[in-house]
Amino acid sequence: MPDRSDHTQATWRQSLQGWLWVAPALLFLVVFVYGPALTNIRFSMFSFSAMSLDWDFVGFDNYLRLWNDPKFTTALANNAIYAAISVTCQVGIALVLAAVLEARVFPDFSANLFRTALFLPSILPVVVVGLVWQLLLTPTTGLIDQILWETGLASWSKAWLGEPDTAIFAVIFVSQWQWTGYIMALFMVAIRAVPRDLYEAMEIDGASGVQQFWHITVPGVRETILIVTIITILGSLKVFDIVWVMTAGGPNHSSEVLGTMMYRAAFRDDMVGYSSTIATVIFFIALTIGLVQIKLQKDR
Amino acid sequence: MAARSFPALAVANRILLWAVFLTLAVVCIYPMIWLFLNAFKTTNDMFAATWGLPKVWHWENFSTAWNYGISRYLLNSLIVTTSTVLIELTLATMAAYALVVMDFRAKAAIYTLILGGAILPPEVSLIPLFRVMAETGLYNTYFALILPNVAFGLPFTTFLIRAYMTGIPGELREAALMDGAGEARIFREVYLPLCRPILASAGLISAMRVWNEFIFALTFVESETVKTVTIGVMSFAVALRADWGVLMAGLALSILPILATFLVMQRQFVGGLTSGAVK
Repeated sequence: MPDRSDHTQATWRQSLQGWLWVAPALLFLVVFVYGPALTNIRFSMFSFSAMSLDWDFVGFDNYLRLWNDPKFTTALANNAIYAAISVTCQVGIALVLAAVLEARVFPDFSANLFRTALFLPSILPVVVVGLVWQLLLTPTTGLIDQILWETGLASWSKAWLGEPDTAIFAVIFVSQWQWTGYIMALFMVAIRAVPRDLYEAMEIDGASGVQQFWHITVPGVRETILIVTIITILGSLKVFDIVWVMTAGGPNHSSEVLGTMMYRAAFRDDMVGYSSTIATVIFFIALTIGLVQIKLQKDR
Repeated sequence: MAARSFPALAVANRILLWAVFLTLAVVCIYPMIWLFLNAFKTTNDMFAATWGLPKVWHWENFSTAWNYGISRYLLNSLIVTTSTVLIELTLATMAAYALVVMDFRAKAAIYTLILGGAILPPEVSLIPLFRVMAETGLYNTYFALILPNVAFGLPFTTFLIRAYMTGIPGELREAALMDGAGEARIFREVYLPLCRPILASAGLISAMRVWNEFIFALTFVESETVKTVTIGVMSFAVALRADWGVLMAGLALSILPILATFLVMQRQFVGGLTSGAVK
């Protein structure tokens, strides 16, 4: 946290000036982020619909109902699977890819080209990515099925997005496709900050690339690994767009995540209080992850 | 630069690495190429030969998509994105300036409050915000998208600009103060020009985020005249289930502005996107 804490000698007059400069930003955050987030917690204690005037105070009934809602269990599990796979791909695999590109295994020109190619998906709107992959994954006419047919793997062909067993995994796959290259670029910047002579010294000792990776790269970018892991877990918790576009939580709610469940409850099923309850759960999980991050960063 | 290669790395390993990276590059790029190529085909051509080049280049797919509504969506996205970025940069730069150069009470708490917004996903504020928009008449206007987009972008943007400003020597400001300049003038004439690189990066990141933004656009606007391109292509996709060529032309048009910006400003893009998470 910042240097000079609240023990300042600033006079009220000086303070007033500082406050005026931060006030507009703070106002936006209070009005559009914090205020609504707190109001949302209050909403979760009521049962009401969007346009109705009668609000029934129900206390914690919504939470009890949520706890017993099988869709909630599915959603939580899907968010967890999402996070687990994303951390593996976007932290684990991305770090290895970054290390290879930074180890000058390829000529600079090719390495740059690879970086650009892998980074490219991350600049695209999630909606477009979702729609394009929906077309690619369409049974029979989609590109993926055609590849399977032409390589003699026709028996593997299936409606990836249309079957409960595979829908969430197809969505997660697309998400990895989109973000792994972005995280890889983050790691490349971090690796560049690791002193070169460490590698050179190890190389003289005859250490292999893999040994250098474990003994220099990984400890050297620990801070970035931590931040990226947190970003990835937070991202998996709040995931909404890609799921909504590709499966809308279907088929039969098998690919539901907290975000889609919350959205459907509020804007399709008109159970606003119940939806606020789901949003509150998201709020507290996000808060916990945020606090863990602060704690971990303070510890070092 | 002399290639610093691993002497121990066997040829077989090298070939393997090339194969892995080439495959990954193709997997990442090909869907986009596929999208652009098929945007020129009729639906039948596409089913017959999804791989190949179009036999006849149906440019009219693009004009059909353009006239079908994409032009309006693009304009709306442009308006929302530009307004958001301008407001967000102004507020973030002011806050960052105060946080870096001024001394005031509750400063640490205020900075934490600003940064803390980055933890909260839009979902947690969505329902109350929706009600606010409805009650204030902002629902279905550009403001319904601009205001929350500014608020949710501020934490990261302020963080980036503040980090950059801490690198500007304080003596510059002190000298200007001696000369009798006020904070507003130092901000405008000393700090803003020096911050140009970070403002470009932060503006680019913010623009990309807003251009791609989905959940507010899905929730706070409904008429065709206000819809941004992300929601536009959704309705487009529903309306054009049977006409893949035009649908893909529409999708291609919707990402063309970002792709073009990316290819022209790749350095700022990657630099900006990566400056946040790496100290």
